[in-house]
Amino acid sequence: MITLVILEAIGIKKHFGGVTALANANLRCYQGRITGLLGANGSGKSTMSKIITGVYQADGGEIRYKGRVVNYRSPSEARKDGIAMVFQNLSLVADLTVWQNIVLGAEESRGMFLDNDSARELSTKILAQLLPELDINKKVSQLNPGEMQIVEIAKAVSQNPQLLILDEPTAALEQAQVKNLFNYMRALAKKGVAMIFTSHRLWEVMEICDDATIFRNGENVASIDFEKEEKDPEKIVSYITGETQKERVEEKRKAVTGGTILRIKNLNYGKLKDVSFELKKGEILGVGGLAGQGQLELMHALAGSFPGISCEAELMGKEVKLNKPVNAIKEGILLVPGDKQLEGLFLRHSVLFNIIFPKMSLPHHPLFIPYEKYREECEEIVDVLSIKTPTVDAPVETLSGGNQQKVVVGKWLPFDINVLLLADPAKGVDIGAKRDLYQYIVDQVQEKNMSVILYASDNEELVDYCDRVLIMYEGQIVTTLEGEDISEDTIIACSMRVR
Amino acid sequence: MMNKTNHNSPRLNLANYVFRPEFSSLVILIAMVVITAVLQENFFTIKSIVRNINAFAPLILLAMGAGVVIISGGLDLSAGAALSLFTCVLTTVMKRGEPITGVYAIIITFAVAIMVGVVNGIGIGYLRIPPVIVTFATSYIWLGIGLFLRPTPGGESVAWFRMFYNPAMVDGIHPAIEQFGRVIPPALILVLIACFIWFIVSKTKTGRYIYAVGSNNDNAYASGINTAKVQLLACVINSIFIFLAALFFVGQNQSGDARMGDPLTLRAIASAIVGGIALTGGRGSVYFALVGALILSFVNKIIFFANISYAYQTLVSGLIVIVAIAAPVAYNLHSSKED
Amino acid sequence: MILSGSIFFERYKKIIVAFILIVLLFALGGIIVPNFLTVEQVLFTLKLASFTALFALCQMIVIVAGGGGLDLSVGYAATLTAVLTASVMDGQNANLLTAVLIALVLGSAIGLANGALASFLKLPPLVVTMAMASILQGIVNAYTAGRNITGRPSPILATVAAKSTAGFPNILFVLLAITVVVTIILNKTKWGTILFGVGSNETTAYLSGINVKWVRCIAFMVSGVLASLTGLLLIGNMGIAFKDMASNYVMPSIAAVVVGGVSLTGGDGNYIGVILGAIFLQALTNLLIALGLGDAGKWLVFGIVLYVLLSFYASNRRSR
Repeated sequence: MITLVILEAIGIKKHFGGVTALANANLRCYQGRITGLLGANGSGKSTMSKIITGVYQADGGEIRYKGRVVNYRSPSEARKDGIAMVFQNLSLVADLTVWQNIVLGAEESRGMFLDNDSARELSTKILAQLLPELDINKKVSQLNPGEMQIVEIAKAVSQNPQLLILDEPTAALEQAQVKNLFNYMRALAKKGVAMIFTSHRLWEVMEICDDATIFRNGENVASIDFEKEEKDPEKIVSYITGETQKERVEEKRKAVTGGTILRIKNLNYGKLKDVSFELKKGEILGVGGLAGQGQLELMHALAGSFPGISCEAELMGKEVKLNKPVNAIKEGILLVPGDKQLEGLFLRHSVLFNIIFPKMSLPHHPLFIPYEKYREECEEIVDVLSIKTPTVDAPVETLSGGNQQKVVVGKWLPFDINVLLLADPAKGVDIGAKRDLYQYIVDQVQEKNMSVILYASDNEELVDYCDRVLIMYEGQIVTTLEGEDISEDTIIACSMRVR
Repeated sequence: MMNKTNHNSPRLNLANYVFRPEFSSLVILIAMVVITAVLQENFFTIKSIVRNINAFAPLILLAMGAGVVIISGGLDLSAGAALSLFTCVLTTVMKRGEPITGVYAIIITFAVAIMVGVVNGIGIGYLRIPPVIVTFATSYIWLGIGLFLRPTPGGESVAWFRMFYNPAMVDGIHPAIEQFGRVIPPALILVLIACFIWFIVSKTKTGRYIYAVGSNNDNAYASGINTAKVQLLACVINSIFIFLAALFFVGQNQSGDARMGDPLTLRAIASAIVGGIALTGGRGSVYFALVGALILSFVNKIIFFANISYAYQTLVSGLIVIVAIAAPVAYNLHSSKED
Repeated sequence: MILSGSIFFERYKKIIVAFILIVLLFALGGIIVPNFLTVEQVLFTLKLASFTALFALCQMIVIVAGGGGLDLSVGYAATLTAVLTASVMDGQNANLLTAVLIALVLGSAIGLANGALASFLKLPPLVVTMAMASILQGIVNAYTAGRNITGRPSPILATVAAKSTAGFPNILFVLLAITVVVTIILNKTKWGTILFGVGSNETTAYLSGINVKWVRCIAFMVSGVLASLTGLLLIGNMGIAFKDMASNYVMPSIAAVVVGGVSLTGGDGNYIGVILGAIFLQALTNLLIALGLGDAGKWLVFGIVLYVLLSFYASNRRSR
């Protein structure tokens, strides 16, 4: 069969601040074929899709679509050219019905009036193959996440794209729905539509894709044509993690001997289901898994962010209630949240303001703020963490991402830390600052014998710093890795439930 | 997520329907009509119905306008001031005894109405200033212009403008029109015009997009909709409805007043909410804003019949607004705890 | 506190702009209108501006607490307090304490109602306080229906609010004292820090252990109490209470806050800037009146100033 290249991305580069998302990435899609995109969290596969559809603009390289170089500035521009994308965060409007959403932004008119009959007909036709039992007159707000995802797909398909990009479309779907989707994708492929498919579930990629491109650290490291090569999951995992196990930078720290400091039993809230674990004194406990499996929620739950939580928690043998942040803070369970700008900082206020703020929540804090004392303390923290700022009075919004993250950590230093919760602290932080940060934390753990729970989307960080790693999948802890078992290989394999 | 209801269960389906805000507002309206009919003799005579329609029409028109803006994700605190401004413009352009000036007045005021909608719409849609704040600011601009034109209530009007209130009061009117006006008051026709305008708009892309933008501005934008333009159009439609109310007012009073509309702003918003339109945007029906306005108007009537002093009117309407906006939220809090 | 030049300018940019506007306005007034720049006239302008500034303080506290907070009921709380306390005081100093107590209770009740609805039930503050305004005006209407409002302010109150000492209106000393207290509370105490934090980023504040809803609710209560107390001062200044004595202060109170450089999104603000805003608006009003433009010009120009400043400040978050 002669296959036509419909899209070719060559040498794509993309930086966000100091972080390189794509270093030199290539991708090729063929008419009537489904191309799988594989890679660990942050390997650049999502960025690639977004550059093709014009959500982001590339810093370098070129994209050829149907033989000519294109550079879309928005998804709607790409859509007009026949490239549609199914977004992970849905683009549906909750208060409109299913069929209204499917044609939204591309309604047909008869004269000045909307042609609702043809819109309903089109919606019924598409959904007949994807989810026939769905009532197209239902409002989207009444649908479950899986049904919404299907409607999102139907919306992308409704405009007859020649290239369809599906970014994690199956995450919210049930088995039967996935099967329907795959049948539909095959039918589309037969009609000549090219598709890019990303999924964390390896078996799905192996089942539906004609070929797969694997990304690692912003580069495409391998391409597999499933028609010619055998489908070997272990081999794919090794491509994703890197073939050679690199030497551990530092020797494994001495085994943790301390007693249990925190015991969590039957934690239930939102997507978290029956989470139970123990944390030892002086331990760095990692939380890993695919993105969005409840890791961030777990960190927030431990920090007392959810008033409606149900959980038995014991700190040093004493029961603690985790229904209010102030309770956790009083017990020295302190959170460095994942989104530093939205959850961790007062951007317009000074470094000093940010660092002293958490003290205000403590009972018995004097009404008048002892600024002299706090300023000295703050300057010390700035020094210790080597935060680069002209003065402590500079607004944090003028600092770089890495230094902002250090401020978020710094505001807890005056407290007696029992458990430090780090939610992806290195996200959006350049390598230098990242190393500083982790080195400081490792030192503190050894010096003060405090405990750390670290969620990192980058598995390398888990491997380098953690004594134990919990792997989460759909809100549950599915595996606990210890000692020699902690490697990128095993983390990825357990995350994707290959092993 | 609250919508975990099993759709196969008929009992729950019925419950869903009964608890829809539209349904409860209809029930309340019927109750209001019954109470009023008991309190007022001859409630169901044509004369009484016409009088009621005249009394209710301005609020109905403003409530429908407020409904359109709220559904689009905005809020208009300048509606009352805009209504006042339009009455001032009408009575300034018109010269008593020169019938043709009435036509000029309508054309000019309509242009002013479009301008008013555009200025609000630019603030809300294009400049993305919070709607409440921007319309709070513009309400004073309309007030200022109104006071320039009419420092004190008054002004001139052409005789035929009473057409918009009661055709029988216009000298030399064709008897057939006079007779028609006795049964179908012009106020009703103005309301029907507003309903017709919305009926047409709701069948076009603009109507669909007003809901989409109000429901989720970012996702509507991501779907390729020009959200700023849609919000601007919603403001213009609102302004046109207010313009219709101004025609009625000047027809009735033959004068303009830069402050007459102030109390109507909050009542219009309250009507829309009572009619089941969600303040968060995207949900509800503009026609049910009309029902909400009727409910609030009947409340006033009942207060009147209950011999409660007119002085309590503002107090009561304030309380109604609080209850109307707090009730759905309180209900949601309650039901989400049960989950 | 030593600040490097650029940080200093960044922080006080809006206040500097407000100050320049005032100077320009007075200069313009001095050129166009005779007697505009005499000492008496300027002091009179400052006296009138101080009442706006007091209402703007209520407004500012609610706005700084963030969450789209605004209090449209301030003027009405003041009117209700003035109307109710007029007969209580009845021109006697002995009754002043009772009047103050009434103001405190009334103000905190109004504020609590506003705060509970806006903060705990998460209703839009503007609609809540607008409805509250209507309720308060309704109570005033009902209270005054069919009777005259009797009673005069106690002499002490009249001295504080209306009289002058050595040519200086006493109310300016009151405003000065309040400014010092407010500035200290905002910048030197944990209350101020918490208020700024909650307004600046409620998630961060919440995760730092602050009860965000209570802080917002208390902000409304402080606003209510201050508005009621300002109502007392207002009756002290005017000598009588009447139905709509303070409702005209609502718009200027918001405009003064915006001119004074307080961000409407919360988390930032300086009362001195707000006072400058109030002076600017009062000078503008006087100039317009002197030019024969009166009420119409005042509201028109206030509206335009607000709209223009808002679109100017909104410009940096217009991009998606």
